[in-house]
Amino acid sequence: MHSSIIKTKNLTKIYSGNIKAVDNVSFEVEEEEIYGFLGPNGAGKTTTILMLITLLKPTSGKATVCGFDIAKEQAEVRSCIGYVSQDTAVDENLTGRENLLLQGHFYHLPKEVLEKRINEVLEMVDLADRANSLVSTYSGGMRKRLDIAEGLIHRPKVLFVDEPTLGLDIQTRHKIWEYIQRLREEAHMTIFLTTHYMDEADKLCDRIGIIDYGQIKVVGEPNELKSQIGGDIITLKFTNETNNYANQTLAEIKKLQSIENIVPIKDSYNVVAKDGETTVPKIFEVANKVGATIESISLKRPALDDVFMAHTGRELREETGSKEDLMRERIRMRRARM
Amino acid sequence: MSVLGDTWNVCWRELIRFKRQPARILMSIVQPIIWLVLLGNMMQAITPMLGSGIKSYLDYMAPGIVVMTTIFGGVFGGLSVVWDRRLGFLNKMLAAPISRSAIPIGKMIASSLISALQATLILFAAMVLGANVATGPLGIAAVILIAMILCLMLSGISLALGAVIKNHETLMVVMNFLTMPLMFTSNALFPKNLMPGWLQTIADWNPITHTIEPIRTITTNGWDWANILPNVGIIVVMTLAVMAIATLVFRRSIS
Repeated sequence: MHSSIIKTKNLTKIYSGNIKAVDNVSFEVEEEEIYGFLGPNGAGKTTTILMLITLLKPTSGKATVCGFDIAKEQAEVRSCIGYVSQDTAVDENLTGRENLLLQGHFYHLPKEVLEKRINEVLEMVDLADRANSLVSTYSGGMRKRLDIAEGLIHRPKVLFVDEPTLGLDIQTRHKIWEYIQRLREEAHMTIFLTTHYMDEADKLCDRIGIIDYGQIKVVGEPNELKSQIGGDIITLKFTNETNNYANQTLAEIKKLQSIENIVPIKDSYNVVAKDGETTVPKIFEVANKVGATIESISLKRPALDDVFMAHTGRELREETGSKEDLMRERIRMRRARM
Repeated sequence: MSVLGDTWNVCWRELIRFKRQPARILMSIVQPIIWLVLLGNMMQAITPMLGSGIKSYLDYMAPGIVVMTTIFGGVFGGLSVVWDRRLGFLNKMLAAPISRSAIPIGKMIASSLISALQATLILFAAMVLGANVATGPLGIAAVILIAMILCLMLSGISLALGAVIKNHETLMVVMNFLTMPLMFTSNALFPKNLMPGWLQTIADWNPITHTIEPIRTITTNGWDWANILPNVGIIVVMTLAVMAIATLVFRRSIS
């Protein structure tokens, strides 16, 4: 059993204007674990990271990283962590190598170690052949890889990665996931990441915490969370004319043996059933008997978005952010296109 | 020790960035050269009013234009903080175990070194156009050094504002608003003794005046220490105060 390398207790951040970004969050991350915060934009993911890396003071609550208090032992925390922000903050006017050199100097690595380390991390993210080119000539994926390499230069015990694949194409995202997994295996690093991508949390994380409106709703392994849903998900919608029969029909459906739960989602209903394939025909039978007409129906295995919905009552989708976020997004998109 | 190292690293980045933008170097000296050519000829007729020892208006205005170049260099020193914040680079630096003060001080020093280069180019351009430097190469070095001190001060002001304003458009407007009045309420282009009394009072308080005074003494007069030392003393004290305040303001803005 590993011990916890990140511990938070009732961590809370209230911004001016009484906006509760992070609300009484308590969780623990074990050594060599890939732990992810999954939630929509504005859920408090980045705020949590900024507090853990000592850039934001918590309003209340406590946290330790590598055993150091984030409020009282900031210098010690900073030395043992790496941070890869969602902004892909690499300097365009420097070469890849110069970016790494600068980063290594910021962590006060001795010259001989730094030379070796730079080559090592460049190798790791497959940028060795482009190391001496200006970053302004890099693609979005290359920038992200360089950014991650910078986070590794001082071999941190814990790496914080905020939205690792934001704005990247599918192939690049898979590559980044591979790199992150390799880090854990080869460098025995603990990785704390945030994402609003379901597949990312699913494929990459050992455990995820679902966060919404600043609160952790549930924590667990992705498979465990999905199996907690209790079966397959049948989404059905009645025609407008027969919507009056909906309640009656649903009451009848509920009586079927395989049904676990029924949740209304906007104008349709999610029916959770143990054995989806055999339940669908039975639902039609029931609807026919009552007199309701089903307009559409679909069946799927539960995914993390269903877990999200089950715990928050709403869909996980991208929401519009602040003006600054939009601008950042645009900058990111511009880079991604280059 | 690590504070010095951190400061140098921050500064090194700014210098490399500057080196990679040749257009920025070029543009920063084109405008002052235009001023030199235009004003130098236009105002030639007022030469007799400038006092003894001044042979041409160009001689008189060259120090003013050199200082103007460093003003432009300095006032935009704070922009890099705004951009670093916006692009996330500031957070990256702050997440590292570096001295917090190293960031503003490194940036101020970088912008001062960059200005030194620009001021040197402008001074040479003025000399090519016919301006004299009475004290030779040593005088040139002294002029650049004094201009660098002023640049430290102005980039400090710009940086402190940038730390608070956090928006580059607003910062540009504010700094532009400061630049022209600073220039024209000083003796950069026009002798103080010909100004109305109230303007003379403002000019006396204007750090630009205290920068140009010793520079002009060095280029047109010689090593008149009684004039040079008090003026340089004043801007050194002001600069140290501004740098300290800017560093404090920056530190407060990130906590």
